[in-house]
Amino acid sequence: MSTRTPPPIRQAWPAMVFHGLNILALVLMAASGLQIYNANPVFGGRAGWDIPVVFTLGGWLAGGRHWHFAVMWLYALNLLFYGLYIAWTRRWRIRFVSNKDFKALKTSRNPRLRVFAWHRLAYTGIIPFLLLGLLTGLGMYRPAQLAWIVDLFGNDWQTLRVVHLSTIPVVLAFSLVHSFLGFSAGGVRMIRSMFLP
Amino acid sequence: MTIFSRRHLLQVLGLSGLGILSGGCGTSLFESNLGNAFEPLNQAVGSLMLDPHRLVPEFPLSAIQPDALIVNTYDVTPTIDPAAYRLTVNGLVDHPLRLSLADLKSLPFQSMVIRHVCVEGWAAIVQWGGVPLAHLIALAGPHPQARYAYFYSADGYYESWDLASACHPQTLMAYQKNQAPLTVDNGAPLRLASPIKLGYKQSKWVTRVTLTDHLAVTQGYWEDQGYEWFGGL
Repeated sequence: MSTRTPPPIRQAWPAMVFHGLNILALVLMAASGLQIYNANPVFGGRAGWDIPVVFTLGGWLAGGRHWHFAVMWLYALNLLFYGLYIAWTRRWRIRFVSNKDFKALKTSRNPRLRVFAWHRLAYTGIIPFLLLGLLTGLGMYRPAQLAWIVDLFGNDWQTLRVVHLSTIPVVLAFSLVHSFLGFSAGGVRMIRSMFLP
Repeated sequence: MTIFSRRHLLQVLGLSGLGILSGGCGTSLFESNLGNAFEPLNQAVGSLMLDPHRLVPEFPLSAIQPDALIVNTYDVTPTIDPAAYRLTVNGLVDHPLRLSLADLKSLPFQSMVIRHVCVEGWAAIVQWGGVPLAHLIALAGPHPQARYAYFYSADGYYESWDLASACHPQTLMAYQKNQAPLTVDNGAPLRLASPIKLGYKQSKWVTRVTLTDHLAVTQGYWEDQGYEWFGGL
């Protein structure tokens, strides 16, 4: 094995498909969600700041809702299949954060091990936020039939809206950290491997 | 996700393009095609989720948010003489009704404190008082083939509901809001109020309820412009 031509990094194809579809779904959900946001800004109501049109999708409120409630199926089913996949293959045991990583973060002097540990921590940590976005969204989509979801958030509508919207800054921050750690772990090769076979 | 990849860059560029185009015909058309494609699925799921007999949890009177309910009127606010006002219930019924306000107030009164949710994203906790619509429909004797209820308002607004939602025990023809007589801005003398439908389904100034066995081409003021018909919560 030559150090000049390192072996290609191979990713499991279901993980690559999930990853690509998840990016697509998140971008479309965020843009159509911001279109809905503009009908009544979460902060300040009608007197609040609008999101610039360039970040929105759908053209008007009904259009934003059409996009949001179509892409929600892609987003939710993609997450579901990924969940089944990691459960079925027991991938979660090797790919997600574990005690070994916490130990490495506390004691290891090996920078590579530490990057791997931080990275596993980051992409394990985003999963609950992806599910929280779905949960709060369902709560606002069907607050009467799924009243228990609204109850989880103190039966307070504004809390539900803020938590749902917070998916966007959380995912943006995660994307930066995830990209940086992925790059630190394997450079451009690592990043390419997640998108290209 | 990564900000370095070509794919992501293309997605971001594509998204910006969609955003810029979104005021134009192309994207509006696509948006409505997407709506038409997924609306039957979302509507089927919405109908399945609706339990016509299960009550939506209510709030205590102390939870009312008197300033949160925004008045959204599509055109004019009609002037109605309460003494001359009549509510007609007709269509596929055995005994068409024509009720004065005094008639309506002599029927069983029901009060509820519920969350009123607007399609725009805001919500308000409101007390509504009035006659359960199921009671009026039962008085009129619906035909077995009746499946939809159309609501016609004095301002020209019109709506249509599935009969299961119209007969839900918390769907009221309301003449009271926040323990005071309903104001004209909020739909006096009589309006729809329900915790299981979006605000635009809850017609104000209702003068006629007509039961039908099919949905016409016109389904509602906002629906006919592209908003979803079921509008369930």
